[in-house]
Amino acid sequence: MNSTFFIRLLRLTILLILQILVFNNIHLMGYATPLLIGYMLLCFERGSSRIGLLLWGFVIGIVFDVFSNTAGMASASCTLLAMMQPKLMQMFLPRDADEDFKPSLSSMGFWKYLLYAFLGMLILHATFYSLDAFTINDWQLTLIAIGSSAALATLLCIATELFVRFK
Amino acid sequence: MQNLFDFFINYKHWFVFIMLEIVSLVSLFSYNGYQKSVYFTTANSVVGTVYSAISSVSSYIDLKDVNNQLEADNETLRQQVQVLQQQLLEAGLDSMEMMEAVQPYTIINALVVNNSLHRSNNLITINKGRADGIAPEMGVVSSSGVVGIVYMVSDHYSIVMPLLNEHSKISCRVKGSEYFGTLQWERGKTDVAVASGFPRHAKLKVGEVVETNGFSDIFPEGIPIGYVFKVQNSPDGMSYQLRLQLYTDFKRLRNVSVITDYTQPERITLEQKADSLTLDD
Repeated sequence: MNSTFFIRLLRLTILLILQILVFNNIHLMGYATPLLIGYMLLCFERGSSRIGLLLWGFVIGIVFDVFSNTAGMASASCTLLAMMQPKLMQMFLPRDADEDFKPSLSSMGFWKYLLYAFLGMLILHATFYSLDAFTINDWQLTLIAIGSSAALATLLCIATELFVRFK
Repeated sequence: MQNLFDFFINYKHWFVFIMLEIVSLVSLFSYNGYQKSVYFTTANSVVGTVYSAISSVSSYIDLKDVNNQLEADNETLRQQVQVLQQQLLEAGLDSMEMMEAVQPYTIINALVVNNSLHRSNNLITINKGRADGIAPEMGVVSSSGVVGIVYMVSDHYSIVMPLLNEHSKISCRVKGSEYFGTLQWERGKTDVAVASGFPRHAKLKVGEVVETNGFSDIFPEGIPIGYVFKVQNSPDGMSYQLRLQLYTDFKRLRNVSVITDYTQPERITLEQKADSLTLDD
């Protein structure tokens, strides 16, 4: 139990409140509902405990599930993202990265961060919406939902990064 | 042996990962066994209270539209009262009998506290539950038409499976005819549904009203669902499909009514039959 834990808990609470009150009500073009809860997992620094990361992912997913009647969908996808995050981050690490490198817009640069956030969000949304549809009958709709909401969530990630930096 | 331990220690996060995924997927697939999972949904009282608070704010914002709707409803009702009074006068009926014919069912009014629209399986949470006399499989209507069927109840909240759910199937008919079919939603639009299974010899026109037919024990007959805007062939070409514009506006759904005693008489006879069968054994 140290200050990082409480900062994460605070971040989780704020993100969940925003997600449930605001982002769950966004339906851009009728499909794109961004899951910004994944942003929290993308912020974990290099070398943090993988089991800890998995548990954070699971908890944020299950709380989201309870509030949105999506039993298991978000917890499965957030756990998957938590599993992939360290590997994903490794792909975009600068050559001289510290042991406790923290992925952010300022430390990675715009384009690298954009790609990092987009891939992460793509994993999250692809799992979530595939579990939601659970059929390949209307795969075009599912693809539209995955693509558009992942893109929207990436933009929101970058907006959050900018907001946090200039605050 | 040492190698085996090393293996487990090095890959321990994989085991945690697989375990958490299994927990998630189990909860995902056991979701359909209703009553058990009520604590992991918006019918849970903590979550329900949060949503009630949120919805009290947003319902205030919607007041103007609701008012307009109410005024329109009032106007229609006033006209209906006039027409009915006229008929009553002409027929010289006993007023008690008339009342019974018009209002045979008990309804419970409830407020929508949470509503999803754009998933493939949308659900609505309402602020009345078991304590108010609501049970699964009861029909839910709004002032404009059919909303859906109660799916899960907790003490003070219920979850309704609306027409906008791929699992929802409602028996319906074209008003004024005996042709009936099944109403289902196709993912995409929130105001369009498809009624299928109408025979090839049926004469169906655009603009006709589709209503419930009273075959199931959930809805009484004659509750409007929507009107036809397109008649098309079914994929196998054996029957007609009707594309319906739904009367209920799910985007602005606030006040709904649950029909509580429609299933009662049938259930009682069924239960009596079941009792007599066990006695025979």
